[in-house]
Amino acid sequence: MSWEAFANVVIKYWPMFLRGARNTLYISIVSTIIGSLIGLLIGVVRTIPIPERGFKKVLIKIVNAILTVYVEVFRGTPMIVQAMVIFYGSLMAFGIDMEPMFAGIFIVSINTGAYTAEIVRGGIISIDKGQFEAAHAIGMNHRKTMLYVVIPQVIRNILPAIGNEFVINIKDTSVLNVISVTELFFQTKTVVGINYKTFEAFTVASILYLIMTLTVTRILRFIEKRMDGPDNYVVIPGNQMQVARPEDLIKHNKGRQ
Amino acid sequence: MENIIEVQHLSKSFGSNEILKDINFSVNKGEVVCIIGASGSGKSTLLRCINLLEKPTGGKVLYKGRNILDDKHDVYAYRTKLGMVFQQFNLFNNHDVLGNCMIGQLKVLKRSKAEAEETAMKYLKVVGMDQYINAKPRQLSGGQKQRVAIARALSMEPDVMLFDEPTSALDPEMVGEVLAVMKELAESGLTMLVVTHEMGFASEVADRVVFMDKGIIEEEGPPEKIFLNPENERTREFLRRVLKQE
Ligand SMILES: Nc1ncnc2c1ncn2[C@@H]1O[C@H](COP(=O)(O)OP(=O)(O)OP(=O)(O)O)[C@@H](O)[C@H]1O
Ligand SMILES: [Mg+2]
Repeated sequence: MSWEAFANVVIKYWPMFLRGARNTLYISIVSTIIGSLIGLLIGVVRTIPIPERGFKKVLIKIVNAILTVYVEVFRGTPMIVQAMVIFYGSLMAFGIDMEPMFAGIFIVSINTGAYTAEIVRGGIISIDKGQFEAAHAIGMNHRKTMLYVVIPQVIRNILPAIGNEFVINIKDTSVLNVISVTELFFQTKTVVGINYKTFEAFTVASILYLIMTLTVTRILRFIEKRMDGPDNYVVIPGNQMQVARPEDLIKHNKGRQ
Repeated sequence: MENIIEVQHLSKSFGSNEILKDINFSVNKGEVVCIIGASGSGKSTLLRCINLLEKPTGGKVLYKGRNILDDKHDVYAYRTKLGMVFQQFNLFNNHDVLGNCMIGQLKVLKRSKAEAEETAMKYLKVVGMDQYINAKPRQLSGGQKQRVAIARALSMEPDVMLFDEPTSALDPEMVGEVLAVMKELAESGLTMLVVTHEMGFASEVADRVVFMDKGIIEEEGPPEKIFLNPENERTREFLRRVLKQE
């Protein structure tokens, strides 16, 4: 091994690495977003209060049973196996020939959905009962309570967990190489197939993975901070009816230091 | 006198545990009724049955003469007519002070943004929190939170306000500011049903005091009678106990 060999791999094959990294990032972003939406929907459905009787009770029970099976199956099996079953299974059983890229996003999304469904359900359950009661007491029904009081708090609370899923997805999309998705791992393997510099090529790949995960972590932390709003509030003197603008807040905070 | 809320033969059980037994009483328009009684006597449960946060096991709850336990009755519309103030404040954590007082008006009463903001500001002024409209609940003291919670309930312009021990979770130095607001509201003619351990407040502000013990209303009457001349042995015993503590 030498620095030269490294440099050669990078100089010669950087477009391939870059394409792989770009696809990895693309699949992870799209799948994390779609998966989170699936998870949010399922988590919300699974916490709908079950009425004492009637058709709705039966319907909710059936839907909940189906969702439980979905969550358990996708959490209980490795994604690499799911990828094989779904990609080749859909071809053999239904004659559906999926684009590898589409198949990749599909698989990672439903996998993320299964995990975030549980995260969301936990997030909803952990919201203080008093929040629900206060919302009900001013006349909100379950839908409005969820929409305007509970879900915004749940989203804020589960953001770190979703960020974690995102980072996991960046790493785990590598299993999609088994269905020939041109993500970073697949591209690296291709480079090795050409020049046999296994160590050098995969070192480059690890650096790229690390750059992606570290950047994503930083960005998410920034977003969390932003969602919490400023640490101080402005006491509005007199009886002015005015909502402070961000500029005022900045001035105010400066004045305090 | 027009009665706004009337409770008839109300009972409530949790499993085999009967918490409320054949409760009968009413709240008239403009009246301030204080409910007192030992811990665990069912005061909160009674309040929660009135706004249907708990489902009564038996009896009737009449709102302006109509039984709200009828299946036909719109629970959500009914609840907008009752303002509820909780011991634990329960401000919406995802909204600031102004948002807390506006969200119900916007989404439940379907008021316009301008009207909701104006109404919210009006009541935030009443409780003296109009200077803090941008603050998030976590940035406020207990007393401030409770005053915002009162403004939130008032912003819905209900017919009657229910208070469940609004000062019990507060540090002693903050009890006064909340009681002062409540006193002001009582004097303005607002109909109020207040569960409280503040005997001073009850004797000063209440038109009527209701004493509950073990899920039963043992005695009710004007504060002078309940506090100075109670007939019931249990009432006397309870008052001896709490007044000694104070
Ligand atoms: N959801 C519930 N499930 C079972 N038991 C309950 C429930 N809520 C209240 N209880 C019981 O009902 C009884 C009366 O409770 P409640 O909260 O109404 O009393 P309280 O008079 O408000 O007391 P405090 O002064 O301590 O607030 C208590 O023994 C309590 O344990
Ligand atoms: Mg209580």
